[in-house]
Amino acid sequence: MDQDELIGNEKVKKILSPHPLSFMNYQSLCIFLIIWGTVLGWLVNFSEYKETLFSEWFLTIIAWALVILVVGVFASLLTIRWSIFFMYAGIVGSGVGLIFWQGWQDSTNIFIPIYTVLLSIFGFLLVELFRRSHKYIISNQRIVFRGGVVTKEERTLRYDKISDVNSKQGIMGQIFGFGTIIPISQSGFGLGADTSFAAGGVSVGGKKGGGLLGLFGGGREVQTPRSRSYYELHGVHPYKEVKKIVEEMVQTSVITPYQQEQVEFQKEQVDIQKQMRDLLKMQSEKEKDDEK
Amino acid sequence: MEGSAIDIVIFAPIAPILGVLLFWFIQLLFVESQKYLISKISKKHEPLCRFTNFLGILFQSICHALGFTVTRHGISEFYVSVHYGKVKPKKQKKGIFEWTANAFLFIGPFFIPALLILLCLLVFTPDAFKVVTPSELLHLKYTFAEQFITFGTSIFNFAGSFFGFLVNIDLLNPGHFGFFVLLIFLGMGIRPSYIGEKVRKKVNMTYDLQNIWGHIRNQPLYVILLFLLSYIIFYISLVFNQNWYVFLFSVFGWLSIISIVALLIADLIVILIKTTDELPKLWNVIPYLNMFISYIIARGIFFTVYPFAEEFTNIVSLFVMIFSTILITLALLKFKTNKFKTKITMKKLIKKEGKKR
Repeated sequence: MDQDELIGNEKVKKILSPHPLSFMNYQSLCIFLIIWGTVLGWLVNFSEYKETLFSEWFLTIIAWALVILVVGVFASLLTIRWSIFFMYAGIVGSGVGLIFWQGWQDSTNIFIPIYTVLLSIFGFLLVELFRRSHKYIISNQRIVFRGGVVTKEERTLRYDKISDVNSKQGIMGQIFGFGTIIPISQSGFGLGADTSFAAGGVSVGGKKGGGLLGLFGGGREVQTPRSRSYYELHGVHPYKEVKKIVEEMVQTSVITPYQQEQVEFQKEQVDIQKQMRDLLKMQSEKEKDDEK
Repeated sequence: MEGSAIDIVIFAPIAPILGVLLFWFIQLLFVESQKYLISKISKKHEPLCRFTNFLGILFQSICHALGFTVTRHGISEFYVSVHYGKVKPKKQKKGIFEWTANAFLFIGPFFIPALLILLCLLVFTPDAFKVVTPSELLHLKYTFAEQFITFGTSIFNFAGSFFGFLVNIDLLNPGHFGFFVLLIFLGMGIRPSYIGEKVRKKVNMTYDLQNIWGHIRNQPLYVILLFLLSYIIFYISLVFNQNWYVFLFSVFGWLSIISIVALLIADLIVILIKTTDELPKLWNVIPYLNMFISYIIARGIFFTVYPFAEEFTNIVSLFVMIFSTILITLALLKFKTNKFKTKITMKKLIKKEGKKR
């Protein structure tokens, strides 16, 4: 943070970035591709199955694509993000397209494992680029969240506007000492919603007659602390220290009920003094008029 | 049937139990050695220490949960973290159910994680699980000594196949590599005692033994019942001339051997970490790099130059990797640190570089 960006009496306490392992959910997608690429490379080139299961080039493509797509469906269902499936489908589609376009059908056994591993390395680089685009500045007056690879985003949060601090630490975080801290503002910034939906169907009518299908369902929404990694202290290290700093700053910035009473009392006093001053002024002006 | 009746009826069933106890005690010693080694590197490698703690707590919690499931307590809460684990039963049962659930907690972590590896070995070395029946060998009878020999033979068969598989492991085969990683993870986690950030109380081998002894002393009747049950199984085996009894205890022996080997490999890795910590920065990466590079080069040489020597490829490559890593580590220690330097060399160094060194 540049000196000219600091506001009056502001001092920077910490400048943080997410831990290299804090985006493991994205990295694990690349790790899967590396493992599958290596295993498939071994299966089709060196294993005992190379002459039986993978004797034809299209069998290698089918096995490769099927595993990637099935894992994509599972990952999408678990994380409720269909973008994972579409990403994996894109990888499969472009791989198959490349093979047919370049006429590499005979080199499938070499091309597919190399293509998969290279793509996963590229994925790792993208995740690393995304991680490095995050910057969190904790000062004595506010927290500044900055991020964005191409489009730069920034969020500034004053400690007195923070109503709640949510923190979470997964197993990797517990092992390597990083965690995520979500400051929730009074306006609800930092909150997301979990939506669950249930549906049922019923069909009426026999084989001969026409069937009638009815569908009914319902959903519910639960508010939960969730934010984009740009707007939270995502995977910060050392977690305990950062959490303590944030909580202390919030505590010192939030006005307590007793302090609030004192402020109101002081306001009343100032009002009374102002009234007294006005009265005195009026009185002195009246006396001056009388003297005249 | 030869041998005295007292020997067969009273003493013979004890033989495999003693065998299992012996292996379990060796396992305890290895657990203690690993704890000592990890505590030595814990300051420099906190994440590794936390990771091994997590594995240990995870295995222990799984064993406890398994105990509650087997005894039909049910599980209402299951929580595992790096520092502690919590398994809460749905309903609190007393008596033998509670005792069995606790037995799973105290003794389970020594055997149940190794069961995972044993199941993998069923795929890799199916011949390892052969138990000798006295009827198969004329000189073997159901006496104490012969039961001990039978137990020893089945352990020897298993150990032979297991070690044979380990020295011939193909680290470029994803299945074998996965098995090896699992073995290391098991070795790191087969440690019921926790190494904390702050030492609150002495948690060591004696502590573990005290826990188990307390558990036995708490309900001696159940232990007697357990003994009676094992005697009954022995008599049934005797009547049917099938060595089910020794097979049962052999399984525990195999599990102990797997645990000991896993602990030994984990110990060697921790020793390597501890040794490389003494090397200057960047130089300490060389032994690890050498492990990968030497193995790949050795495999490459066999693949291209000696493709006919398929039998020796894996074993020689593995030994090349191990010995080259040891040699490189020792050489780095000699040339980059003050280790292995005699007084004369040290004096020369002091003269050369000044007394401040």
